Amino acid sequence: MQKKILLISRHAPYGSSTAKEALDAALAAAVYEQSLSLLFMDDGVFQLLKDQQAQQINQKNFSSILAALPFYDIENIYIHQESLKKRIIENKDLLIEHAAILTNEQISTLLNDQDHILSF
Amino acid sequence: MFLVVNNKQIAIDGDGYLIDTQQWTPEIATAIAAQENIQISDAHWEIIYLLQDFYREFEISPAMRALVKYTEKKLGAHKGKSIYLLQLFPPSPAKLASKIAGLPRPANCL
Amino acid sequence: MIFSINVQSPPYSTQASYTAYRFCKAVLAQGHQVHRIFFYQDGIYCATRLAAPPQDELNLYDKWQNLAKENEIELVVCIAAALRRGILNLEESIRYQKDAHNLAEGFTLGGLGQLIEAAVNSDRMVTFGN
Repeated sequence: MQKKILLISRHAPYGSSTAKEALDAALAAAVYEQSLSLLFMDDGVFQLLKDQQAQQINQKNFSSILAALPFYDIENIYIHQESLKKRIIENKDLLIEHAAILTNEQISTLLNDQDHILSF
Repeated sequence: MFLVVNNKQIAIDGDGYLIDTQQWTPEIATAIAAQENIQISDAHWEIIYLLQDFYREFEISPAMRALVKYTEKKLGAHKGKSIYLLQLFPPSPAKLASKIAGLPRPANCL
Repeated sequence: MIFSINVQSPPYSTQASYTAYRFCKAVLAQGHQVHRIFFYQDGIYCATRLAAPPQDELNLYDKWQNLAKENEIELVVCIAAALRRGILNLEESIRYQKDAHNLAEGFTLGGLGQLIEAAVNSDRMVTFGN
C-alpha cells in the first residue's frame, strides 16, 4: 500500500537539529518506497540557499545532502513563495532548480492532496 | 579489536568498522574485505571508490537504492543494478561496501 | 480509526510530549486505536529510565510506560536520534563500548522506517513538538 506523504520542513538548516533530522526522515521514507514530497516553508527555505559553509561550524553541509535527493527518488520538491519573499530570497539564490514555487492557494491544494503530513 | 595490516594494528569495532576512518588505505580495505570473505577484484575497487565519491559529494553514506542509482549514473545501466552489486558484496551491498570503503558506520539500521 | 503519534519534544522542558500523552489517552477513550508511538528528535528523552522527577510533580516517564502496557501500544525510539543523545539499550551499549545503558522498559530502539511504516498503516499520523 502506497500513501502520499508530505514532509514539511520549517526550520533553518543550522542552529538546531530539526532540519537535519527532517531530512533524515525524508531519506528513510524514500527507502521504504513511499511517495514522498518535500515542502520548504518559513525558515526552512534558508536550507535551500547556495554557498553554505557549514564546515566552519563543524556541521554537515545541507546543500550536499539536498543534492542527493534525486538518488533517493525524491523528486517532488515544493517551496512556499511567501516564505521566500518575506526573507528576500530570490530564485537565483536557490540551489534546487527543479523545485516548484507555490502560492498560498497552491499550498492548501497540496496539503489537501496528502494522506499524511509530517511536520518538522 | 584489531586488524593487522603491514605489521600495524588497526583498531576496528565489534562489527568490523574502522574506529578511525581517516586511517583508511587500500591495504586496510583488503583486510576488512577478507574478514567478510570477499577477495577484492577490479570490479570491487570500482564500487569502493564510487562509494567514497558519493560520500565526498553528498556527505552521507548511500542507502541501497541510492547506491544503485548513483552506480547507474556513473558506471552505466549494466552495472547500476541491485543484482550486479549483490554479486560483488553479498548479502547487503550498501552496508558492506561502505564498511570496506572506510565510510562512517551508519547510525541506524536502515 | 487508527492513529500513530510522532513525539518530537522532550518530556520536561516543553509541554508538547505531555500533550501527546493526553492526546493518546483521549484517542483511546473515544474507542480509537493507537498503532505506534514513535519518539524522534528530543522526544527520545522520554525513554530514559534514569529520570527522577520530584514526587509532587508529573512523572511522564511512568505515564508513557503504563499507557503502553495497559493498551499494548508500541513505544519505538529512533535509534539514530537516541545514539546521538545518549539513550542506549544493552545491545547498543555493548556495540559502542559504553559502561551503562538507560533505555526504560517498554521502549524499543528502531529505525526511522518505523515512523514511515506507522504512517502507512494508520489513518492519522499526528506530530507533537516543533
